[in-house]
Amino acid sequence: MTGHANRPTQAAATLAAVALLVALPANAQVDLGTEEQQAAGKVVYDKYCGQCHGDTGDGNGYATPRVKPKPRDFTTGTYKFRTTPNGTLPTDDDLRRIIEIGAPYTSMPGWPNLTSAEIQNVIYYIKSFSSAFENPDRYAEPIEIPRPLESTEESVARGRVVYEEQGCAACHGEVGRGDGPSAPTLVNDKGDPIRAADLTQRWTYRGGPTKEDIYRTFSTGLNGTPMPSYADSLEVEDRQDLVSYVYSLGDGDDPNYGTLITAVYSEEPIDLQDGETLDALFESAPMTRFPLVGQITEPGRNFFPPVTSIEAQAVYNRDEIAFRVRWHDLRADTSGRNNPSLEVPTWDEDNGIGGDAADDTGDDFFGDAGGDDFFGDFGGEEAPAEDDFFGDSGDDFFGDGGDDFFGTAEAGAGGAEFSDAVALQFPASLAPEETPELKPYFLYGDAQNPVDLWFVNLTYGVADTFRGRGSDAIEPTEADVVEAVTSYDQGAWTVTYKRRRSSRAGVSFAEEQYTPVAFSVWDGFNRERGNKRALSSWFYVYTEPSVEQAVAGPVLRAALIVLVVELLVVFLVRRRARQKAAEEAASGGTLTATEAPAV
Amino acid sequence: MWGLNLPIVLALAAIGGVLAWRRAHTLVWLLYTGGALWAFFRFGFAVPIPQSVATIYLGITGLALVCYASSSRERLAETVQPIQRLILEPRYRLALAGLLVALPALAAYNAYVDLTMPLEAPGFGREIHPPPPTELTVHDETIDMATAENPYLHYKHDDPELYGKHVENGRRVYYENCFWCHGDGMGGDGMFAHGLNPVPSNFNDVGTLPALQSSFVHWRIAKGGPGMPAGGTPWDSAMPAWEKFLTTEEMWDVNLFIYDFNGFEPRALGQH
Repeated sequence: MTGHANRPTQAAATLAAVALLVALPANAQVDLGTEEQQAAGKVVYDKYCGQCHGDTGDGNGYATPRVKPKPRDFTTGTYKFRTTPNGTLPTDDDLRRIIEIGAPYTSMPGWPNLTSAEIQNVIYYIKSFSSAFENPDRYAEPIEIPRPLESTEESVARGRVVYEEQGCAACHGEVGRGDGPSAPTLVNDKGDPIRAADLTQRWTYRGGPTKEDIYRTFSTGLNGTPMPSYADSLEVEDRQDLVSYVYSLGDGDDPNYGTLITAVYSEEPIDLQDGETLDALFESAPMTRFPLVGQITEPGRNFFPPVTSIEAQAVYNRDEIAFRVRWHDLRADTSGRNNPSLEVPTWDEDNGIGGDAADDTGDDFFGDAGGDDFFGDFGGEEAPAEDDFFGDSGDDFFGDGGDDFFGTAEAGAGGAEFSDAVALQFPASLAPEETPELKPYFLYGDAQNPVDLWFVNLTYGVADTFRGRGSDAIEPTEADVVEAVTSYDQGAWTVTYKRRRSSRAGVSFAEEQYTPVAFSVWDGFNRERGNKRALSSWFYVYTEPSVEQAVAGPVLRAALIVLVVELLVVFLVRRRARQKAAEEAASGGTLTATEAPAV
Repeated sequence: MWGLNLPIVLALAAIGGVLAWRRAHTLVWLLYTGGALWAFFRFGFAVPIPQSVATIYLGITGLALVCYASSSRERLAETVQPIQRLILEPRYRLALAGLLVALPALAAYNAYVDLTMPLEAPGFGREIHPPPPTELTVHDETIDMATAENPYLHYKHDDPELYGKHVENGRRVYYENCFWCHGDGMGGDGMFAHGLNPVPSNFNDVGTLPALQSSFVHWRIAKGGPGMPAGGTPWDSAMPAWEKFLTTEEMWDVNLFIYDFNGFEPRALGQH
């Protein structure tokens, strides 16, 4: 505490605060801006915000049906990321923070191009959508966020106890991968399915990755979601320990996405059935994380894949090469069907948008396709050429899931219609030397340049190989034998592949070779199948030389070359100087000689 | 500011100022200029510039420095004189020995760093705006790429209300289809952009949309990545061939919208 000398000042400050409170009731915080400010905010909002949050602020913009989590509905006055207690309104600074930096891995971007004044005006306009902001009782002072603790072992251990006692694992999972038993059933207060955060991937935290952000979330809760506030049930110290623990689960602030798998050489045999030796083998291989995004280029589009990254590594010996991939999934779906060419209806149909379903959901963007004589076809993906791409448009789409995005109620109860799956993709042959940049189309290849898929349906856990010549031309192939083993542990899938390095029909993995590789992941819970998948662009696998390259030789050579050049320069300069001196001496000598008689 | 790393640039300028004030020797000036340029290209920019560009500039400036030093007999003599003295005069023998050791050591270190550098995936150049075809057929309708314009652009002056409707329809199309990659604010920074290579086009860039005819943009929209010639590495592009998903009108409308949103006009016909 402070010394005696400060007491009078403190008392004065308290008095002043009390006087202020008496003079101005809580509605001192109500600041809705002037009409001009709101009008200026509307201009910015209409240009940058309305497409998702709706021109009337109801969270129902053009993009809304296709994004997940759903854009905020500003008419409710409910906000997730606040420094204020549970159930109260956010401060202007809370709103400003999200506008400035956005919410990672959602469709809310940061808006660094907006000026401070523009953001303030937008805040005034956003607040005008909900009458809650006119009610002084809905406001509260921000909570105090203490300086974060050092993550000591003790603090982390105490935090683990809190994690267990508070039942965090029910949603976030035993080791924090967002795979708790309740995770598949979570919905927000509007009934939209939502996901528990994967605590091991801090860069995806919607509210921010710092210890202060985590503490804030514990202390204020995320209004409108199942994430409660622990302000009343946990002491400050407990919450700080919990921060230490959750922070310790994280794999860094940054995903450190890479572009290359380095396959390391080993003398050992690669035996997929011997788990321990296999793990030891992969221990020596560097792990690279690759970003995955939704397949939105071809029909069967996937606008919000839950799996946002995959880790991969590779080892090889004299004859064989093995790849290991790992990704997080909130539930192992191992009962449904899946394969790379499974047909997917149009996005609208798959999600119950269009026709009768549109009336049910009150969606006015897709429903009135025929009604509007000016814009004509409003039907999203119902393009003129549609028939060429979807053979099964007559199927009963609405029977199998309707408008859910993250799994149906039945899916939550157990069996999913589609199983989890993964595929590695390689070119069927390497690029010719004269055009090294040439690759097959990264979406399942093309007619001239096919790809090979090493596909594992996790219902069966064995690898099937397919040859792709485009999204509509994928055929099973048996030219090469690819083996695989799979495991699901605490929210993480691990799949290990093995194949002979030389291939009869596909690509061979020679030493010191860069081979293009791409990834696909299907989350059965998200009803992903066929071309509805998470995928990566082309990356590379590099088969490291089996014999370690000597560094000493080239280093010595470089030093020697420089030394020789130096010595040469010194030698030449000195010789020149000597010659000059000799010439001078010679000419001097002549002079002396000619002058000599005169002396 | 201006994409520069100001502290570095100011420090380099300050050193130059001191050298000018102390009337430094020509050789010192040459060494300073070379070193400062290297440091400027290496550390002076907030955003790293491509190594190849830096190498070209350094090569040219290095050549210029040599030209300067050898531009007159006097200057050349003045420049090399300290070097000659270092090599010849006995009192600098220790310094010369040090240099003879230090330079090869530096070269060795450089070679070592090169050899132990973490591997990177091979990179290949690509044409950002590959040459368009002369004719374009979309939904059985063929247009001449050289003369075709956005059929709704003229409404901007003739019928602003109708223009507004087309722009609004384009806005709908954009936010139903495009912003995942090209971004809400069209900065090429949508939520999927980080997973794509090549990165999505940035429509805020004054060097992109205003430099292109609307027919070129229409070609890119309708035929997407697969419609590019090989120079554009079509196999890497995630840009869909939108003719599969959208009507011709929707494609022109979204074309209109991305120009309107950024306050740009398409490059006019015959304008270079």
